[in-house]
Amino acid sequence: MSEEKTTGKQNALVNALTKSNMTAMGVVLIILILIASVASPYFLDIYNLQSVVRDLAFVGMIGIAQSLLLLVGELDLSVGKIASLCGILSGIMMVHWGWNSWLSLIIALALGLVFGCINGLIITKLRLNSMVATIGMQGVYGGINLVLTKGKAITGVPENIQFLGKGAIGPIPYPFIFCVLVLIAVLFLVKKTKTGRYIYAIGNSREAAKILGIKVDKIRVMIYSLVGLISALAGVLYVARLGSAQSAIGENWPMNSIAASVIGGVALTGGIGNPAGALIGAAVISIIQNMIVLFGVNVYWQSAVSGLVTVAAISFSSISAIVREKRQRKVKLG
Amino acid sequence: MKVLEAHNITKRFPGVVALDSVDIAFEPGKIHAVIGENGAGKSTLIKCLTGVYEPEEGDVYINGKDATKDRLLFDRVAYVPQEIDLFGHMSVAENLFIPYEKSGIQGTINQRKLQNMAVPILEKFRIPVKPDALVKDISVSAQQLLQIARACSHTDYQVLMLDEPTTSLTTKDTEILFDIIAEIKKDNKAIIFISHKLEEIFQLSDEITVFRNGKKVAYSPTEEVDIRWVIRQMTGKELDQSQVFYSDRVSDEVLLEVKDFTGDQFTDVSFELRKGEILGFTGLVGAGRSELMQGILGALPVIKGSARMEGEDWKLGDTNFAVNHGFIYLPEERKKQGILPVLSIKANISISSLDELMNGFSISAKKEEELAEKTIRTYDIKTPDSDKEIQFLSGGNQQKVIIGRAMSCNPKVLVFDEPTKGIDVGTKTEIYRLMKELAEKEEIGIIMISSEMDEVLKCSNRIIAMYEGRKVGEFPHGTDKETLLSAIIGISN
Repeated sequence: MSEEKTTGKQNALVNALTKSNMTAMGVVLIILILIASVASPYFLDIYNLQSVVRDLAFVGMIGIAQSLLLLVGELDLSVGKIASLCGILSGIMMVHWGWNSWLSLIIALALGLVFGCINGLIITKLRLNSMVATIGMQGVYGGINLVLTKGKAITGVPENIQFLGKGAIGPIPYPFIFCVLVLIAVLFLVKKTKTGRYIYAIGNSREAAKILGIKVDKIRVMIYSLVGLISALAGVLYVARLGSAQSAIGENWPMNSIAASVIGGVALTGGIGNPAGALIGAAVISIIQNMIVLFGVNVYWQSAVSGLVTVAAISFSSISAIVREKRQRKVKLG
Repeated sequence: MKVLEAHNITKRFPGVVALDSVDIAFEPGKIHAVIGENGAGKSTLIKCLTGVYEPEEGDVYINGKDATKDRLLFDRVAYVPQEIDLFGHMSVAENLFIPYEKSGIQGTINQRKLQNMAVPILEKFRIPVKPDALVKDISVSAQQLLQIARACSHTDYQVLMLDEPTTSLTTKDTEILFDIIAEIKKDNKAIIFISHKLEEIFQLSDEITVFRNGKKVAYSPTEEVDIRWVIRQMTGKELDQSQVFYSDRVSDEVLLEVKDFTGDQFTDVSFELRKGEILGFTGLVGAGRSELMQGILGALPVIKGSARMEGEDWKLGDTNFAVNHGFIYLPEERKKQGILPVLSIKANISISSLDELMNGFSISAKKEEELAEKTIRTYDIKTPDSDKEIQFLSGGNQQKVIIGRAMSCNPKVLVFDEPTKGIDVGTKTEIYRLMKELAEKEEIGIIMISSEMDEVLKCSNRIIAMYEGRKVGEFPHGTDKETLLSAIIGISN
């Protein structure tokens, strides 16, 4: 009897851990934080924490956007280039043309929306595969970047907007606040609105969604536009952070945003997952990278170690599922 | 001598006992039919007998040896699933021999050799395709036969398990299949035949086992019983086979008027549908019936023709318009086009009527729950709760969810495309009764596409026959089966 009870309890724990990848990764995140704070005296240092949070805000924002596309079974590899292009365009408006900096930022965001919309229209109207189409488009946006800047950074971004990237409210950096706002907005869209339901429906079965009368292509274009907008937001915030607009901004964002989403339990095949998972995934990635620096891993080894730890982190949830299966078999035989 | 035996097996899932202390045995040289309503435990039994599931209690013996201890024994059971699971972009020959190890092919793969090896098998199973043809390009019938040929071409099988093998076969191909099964039987193999089509079972089987609610409720040699006995055992009650279900309240008002519709797979089709009417569309697989309806829906292009709903012009090529104006299509391919598999039953129901569930800017969880509960009650959907993913429901219950969803968005015309495909007798009758009730009480027009002649005759007020994309005849109810049959195979009058 008592034995049964403990197995019941253990099962409840295992169940909770394996219920979704997102909760499992939440646990991984907490474990990582514990390890980091015990192993390195500098991890909990306010300056270090702020820098980690500032980093993860950018990957988190893009990851949240990317997860929307993953939910309908698509992805966008041009997010990084849209971000840097919008950053540069805002720089040109502010620095070269001397426009009002707030107006410049808003125009840059609007342009991000337009770029995303172009992606969406090309993909839906010409019935292209999203991955290949956005590989092409990132070349286009990146190319425009180089034409505009000739590879040089635009320095001298006005002081009055730099706080958006560099500043903080109390201990919390501005980019992270924007990231949380983006998450709240996206969660509301996905969980509470009709459009959100249609997104999951399309990810489940595009054919069924069409037969149900859902405007499938319209919603897809809308998501691409939204992804463009959020990318632009990340881009201009990064410009504010650096104090200069550069075409190198967002280089790793496409891959990291996909990794963050998948780590956080969003399925590549569509219809499964929660955008909040992408933020957890982004935090896992950023903390791993921070730990590698804090532990003083040789520079040349850093990329390999960070990759390995990431794979170990995503293995956690599937390993716990395997363990649960084995346990059930054992219960039966015993 | 039994080749495959299950002793007292029990398999539980959260909330249900899917199999309850079942004993069953299969003998070589016999065709053993296993039947039961959807959710009776047939699928779970199959999965236990093929080693996919391990039962919590009881054992499975193959050739007298315990298969749970020696799992290699499960290779002796060749299983042909209900759905086609071939590789569409590989050749017929490759599909036949994959996995190569099981077919005794070692080392590298020589395409020509594979094709030469495939020829006699294709001949034996009378599959009229070239071995180098791609599977996606051959007919559904040929694919179905190919699946069976594949299961049989693997070495060392002693039991052949066929799960509803005739659902996508034409009458002619069904006969071919039965001849082949008879030959396999002569090879002294045990054959397990799972089907909802009772006539086939009586035509083919030697013995019958009936399942109900996870229990084995009856067993008999086929010659000692009749269809009425089987139905009684399956449903637990008598069922009147001669009942008819056409609507008694057809109004004079024309609801939908389709004129000269022409598309890829339908040509110059015109018809009218009245309020409260059930209009049957019959024809062979591929006669263009589903495509025609999907053309009206806007999911497939229409080259020529026009339509009017209640006298208003109909917009083509826009499914959103069609659904908002009351034209709802319930697809034949339930799993691909009907359900949203990983979403909950609740979300599957509410997706079509979110407008009514809004509370300001957001969906009201309470209203959604109420709608789900109401639908589950009204349509008698069997599930422990509405949060369960719909993919885990049986086919009949999925169909009821889809009907409930359609009804919650005030339809004027409901198109049922093969509404009882893969659904058992008891639930079939429930769905017929539901269609009749919807036509009579809700005054909607119903179009029923079906390849089952009896079903069309039982349910339709009028019947339209199609052949190769054209309308070849229109018949009142009470038409005899022969007239209808000759129409759908292209013989006029």
